[in-house]
Amino acid sequence: MSTIKEFLTSDHSRCDEIFASMEAAANSSFEDAKVLCLEFIKATEHHFQMEERIVFAEFEKKTGMTQGPTQMMRHEHTQMRALMQDMFKALESENKDKFFGNSETLMILLQQHNMKEEQMLYPMIQQHLNAESEHLLEMMNAMIVE
Amino acid sequence: MELNGLSIDQAPPISAPVRFFIAAPIFGIIAGFLIFFTDSATLMSRYSMESIVVTHAMTIGFLGFIMLGALTQMLPVLVGAKMPKVAFVSKYSFLLLFIGVFAMIWGMLEQNSIVIFISLFGLGGGFFMMFGSMAIALKGVNNFTPTVKAISTSIVFASLIVLMGLYLLAAYISEDLKSSHIVIANIHSVWAVFGFAGILIIGVAFQVLPMFYVAPKFKSFCKKRVVWLISIGLVLWFGLSIFKEEYSLFAKAWIAMFFWAFATTVWLKLSARRRPISDVTVWYWRSASIFLTFGSFLWIFDEYFKHEYIVMVAILIGGFIMSIMIGMVYKVIPFLVWFHLNGMGYMSIPTMTEMVNKNLAKAQFVLFMLSLLGFIFSFYMPYLLQPSAVSFIISMILLEINVLAPVLIYRKISKTKPDFDMSSLTTTT
Repeated sequence: MSTIKEFLTSDHSRCDEIFASMEAAANSSFEDAKVLCLEFIKATEHHFQMEERIVFAEFEKKTGMTQGPTQMMRHEHTQMRALMQDMFKALESENKDKFFGNSETLMILLQQHNMKEEQMLYPMIQQHLNAESEHLLEMMNAMIVE
Repeated sequence: MELNGLSIDQAPPISAPVRFFIAAPIFGIIAGFLIFFTDSATLMSRYSMESIVVTHAMTIGFLGFIMLGALTQMLPVLVGAKMPKVAFVSKYSFLLLFIGVFAMIWGMLEQNSIVIFISLFGLGGGFFMMFGSMAIALKGVNNFTPTVKAISTSIVFASLIVLMGLYLLAAYISEDLKSSHIVIANIHSVWAVFGFAGILIIGVAFQVLPMFYVAPKFKSFCKKRVVWLISIGLVLWFGLSIFKEEYSLFAKAWIAMFFWAFATTVWLKLSARRRPISDVTVWYWRSASIFLTFGSFLWIFDEYFKHEYIVMVAILIGGFIMSIMIGMVYKVIPFLVWFHLNGMGYMSIPTMTEMVNKNLAKAQFVLFMLSLLGFIFSFYMPYLLQPSAVSFIISMILLEINVLAPVLIYRKISKTKPDFDMSSLTTTT
């Protein structure tokens, strides 16, 4: 049974893989890239919602910290959602330079965000929610994106 | 509870790292002019005053400034450690170091004891203010990842090489060069290249390559053991070079083997990366791994280091360390500008790739590589030195332009009204 930290970290890698495939496709076919871009947006949105609706919410309830790191992670999610939309728009208008400009910015933002989560926030969450870990993993697996 | 680095208001103000990045190419330009006005025979000896001055313009002025700027920014993100009073420390250590490097160049060239004394004060004060603040930040870290260990180890080596450097510099004030001077200078330079810069680069590579290029992760053995094995090699080499010099070759081979393995690993990981992009940052990583492979093996043969100094400097300091630092600057500065502007509520801002002119960055890379090759071959063809110095100077000017472009975008946009009021979330400056 994996921990919350392992589960979410592995989901980061899954999103990275789709991201890389999307960029590779953008070099040859806008249509293929659009399909992969939508897949990436869907996977990332699913990840964000697992955090925001389940893990962060539970962590905030348990610690009472609603204005702390989870709020900042939510803020970065908003930044990334906007960049993902810009990226898709660039593909729709077949503007390769704009697409790669947005994808590069998103990649760096995403990676520094993931790093902060994996190295600081997840261990902290695991520590506080260890007892509920199994239940939360089940909830995340069953979650439907809104 | 360890929360440092999670939020933008925990991150240092943009001016803290950026001032170091802006100043670094200035010292590169100065180093280029110093090389231009020196003959190649003088630069073959590592103990000529010109060689010492050129080397330190590049190592402290260029590399030191980029490394300190990068560490200021990376500690909260990579390590989760917030430097205390980061704005104050960055500002005043920058001033001290800036004065210190200039005074060192001037004082050594003019043999002026008073100016050398000023440089001693500036460099000692600047470096230790930074290292002290970083040590306090690292002390509070609970999650000791391989990158944290590598950064901590490199800062220990950095503190030791600065102490040695200050001792060596002080000897020029009294003009009393003891017999131990050369031994200490040797330890100072080897620990600077492999202990401080080398270990720092390895530690950062553990994170950066898999993250930014979606390259395969480094193996657990590599992440957990290599920094320690290199450190043991460096300490062993230190002992052997003092007490049993005839055996020091074994320690050098030990150290070189790990750096060669690292260089090969970097190359293979980049080849196996999932992201297809190939920009100058990838080119810089690749060229660094080639130069490091050559440099590691050449360094084993001591005679090379003694008599073909410019060759070693061009390969190890230029080809390996400078390449990686320049590549890093091309990623870090545009991101910082984007991140801070976006965090302040500006939504209509250029993307990272729009901030730096791609063709200028490519031209900068080509000129830099040509200059390095020219410096190496100037050992055999001295007439190559001056054209290579010109190529190096132009590449540093282009680098400065490429650094300033995103900074000017930041200045221009930050004077306008943000799209959203983010004051409840951020306190960036």
